[in-house]
Amino acid sequence: MEEIVGLAPSGSMGSGYNLEAFKRGMAAKPHFIGQDAGSTDMGPYYHGTGATFLPLATYKHDLTTMLRAARAQRIPLLVGSALTSGANVSLAQAVEIVREIAREDGLSFRMAVISAEIDKAELKRRLAQEPFESIGPEPLTPETIDRCGPIVAQMGVEPFMKALDAGAEVIIAGRACDDVIFAALPMLKGFDAGLSLHCGKILECAGLSAVPTDLAEPLIGRVRRDHFEVEPCHPDHRCTTVSVAGHSLYERGDPCLQPGPGGMNDLTNAVFTQVDDRRVKVSGSRFIPDARYRVKLEGAEKLGFRSVVLVGIRDPFMIKALDLLFADVRERAEARFGMAAKGVQLNFSVYGKNAVMGALEPMTDADPHEVGVLIDAVAPEQELATGVAMFVRGTLQHASYPGIRNTAGNMAYPFSPFGVPLGPAYRFAVYHLMPLADPCECFPMTIEEVRN
Amino acid sequence: MTTTLLDLAKVIRSKNAGPFEVTFDIMFDDPAKYERVKKSGVINAARIAELYRVRVDDVLVCRPYDPAVAFKVTIRRPVGSGDIEDRDVYGCQQHVPLMAIEVPA
Repeated sequence: MEEIVGLAPSGSMGSGYNLEAFKRGMAAKPHFIGQDAGSTDMGPYYHGTGATFLPLATYKHDLTTMLRAARAQRIPLLVGSALTSGANVSLAQAVEIVREIAREDGLSFRMAVISAEIDKAELKRRLAQEPFESIGPEPLTPETIDRCGPIVAQMGVEPFMKALDAGAEVIIAGRACDDVIFAALPMLKGFDAGLSLHCGKILECAGLSAVPTDLAEPLIGRVRRDHFEVEPCHPDHRCTTVSVAGHSLYERGDPCLQPGPGGMNDLTNAVFTQVDDRRVKVSGSRFIPDARYRVKLEGAEKLGFRSVVLVGIRDPFMIKALDLLFADVRERAEARFGMAAKGVQLNFSVYGKNAVMGALEPMTDADPHEVGVLIDAVAPEQELATGVAMFVRGTLQHASYPGIRNTAGNMAYPFSPFGVPLGPAYRFAVYHLMPLADPCECFPMTIEEVRN
Repeated sequence: MTTTLLDLAKVIRSKNAGPFEVTFDIMFDDPAKYERVKKSGVINAARIAELYRVRVDDVLVCRPYDPAVAFKVTIRRPVGSGDIEDRDVYGCQQHVPLMAIEVPA
């Protein structure tokens, strides 16, 4: 085999994609379709609850096109991180969508379902043997594990290869490292790991590494013996050495050393060459296996329930007095609710001053003519969170400050109701590396013969 | 008139690199402009730490990357993505201070 051709319809399942370009991609006779369907990007809520980022109908829309195309050409469809967090509850939803499409379209195939959720008792047992290295949060404890929603591990390429080896025509996997979805078939066929993973890294965001940049534009990757090549499916879009090399930077801490399950992909000596107007060739990427195979764990712990009130302030004297007013109302809320003892957290964000950057904001003397204020309360119960947020609102509404002229009310409300309960609040508390004896040991696979 | 990165760079962007880091890409469409910035040395860990008011130790990566005609800077997030005080879950609006970095002629 001279090359393995992979097609990435879009950088994120549910975003939709250019159907004409997708058809052009299929006409290039790919050996597989790969699709990333999850991330930590949308924050801890989705890992905490296991909820999907988009409505299920949106995923079904994208999956229908991919599944029909893959079956029509008898090529495997590989989906990783289904859906959003890749926990079991959302994985089951993805699998059900696939079954539904198969029923409706009369499709038959062998489906592999690979779970990435780690049983909490098993996780504690492993943790008791040795601490896991943190790559961000506090050291992991059994108590943290208990406070978390589902905890997942990012699988490497091996479970996908195992599923392909078992003859799977559709692979639906829980949380997976993005690039491995696209590296599995090339590596199974003996192509170089460094090139396969680097090509996967480019493909997982699809058209994001082409010009013009568009996450919803399909991309083709061809892994060969000593290089790989990428090409956008849209005839007017181009891959350039700069756009492709630039994508090696995207959402990664270091441009050259990219750690993943079981090792590091070293792009230090990668060479990017323009083949023609629209295609770029890459060589020199090198995978360096770790002495011990480790996978990244992800989980979010519950902090309580959040309620917010969003208001606008136009009065210049009120805007000047905000810090003092916040300090005063915080004291009153403490006296009224005993916030510290109950574990209530109250935060104010002033849009127009430093809400977006917080501690990182270098502009400390902003003098805006109007501001938005987000009153944000997180408490052990939803009722209490709403109670605190609304108490703070009511107090600020009629508070007095130096220079006050308007005694009828201090804040403008963009809508009624004023207080909005947002449900549970989470924070990423698990982002640690767990050693494995076997790359497949935490990722059980089931094979299902879908017959219609 | 002083020249800033805003005048020279084509792309100045920020984004999470995982929930606990925010990473910046400064990209150029003209290799000469890139070389000028690279030679000037104005993009360095000390300057980044000062701009974002973080410790130099929290600047995890700060380097040019020739193949992409770009600079890569990564800092530790003061609060994790979506944590209780965070207000930029994607980390994609943290790039603005970089625009004002002055580049000598």
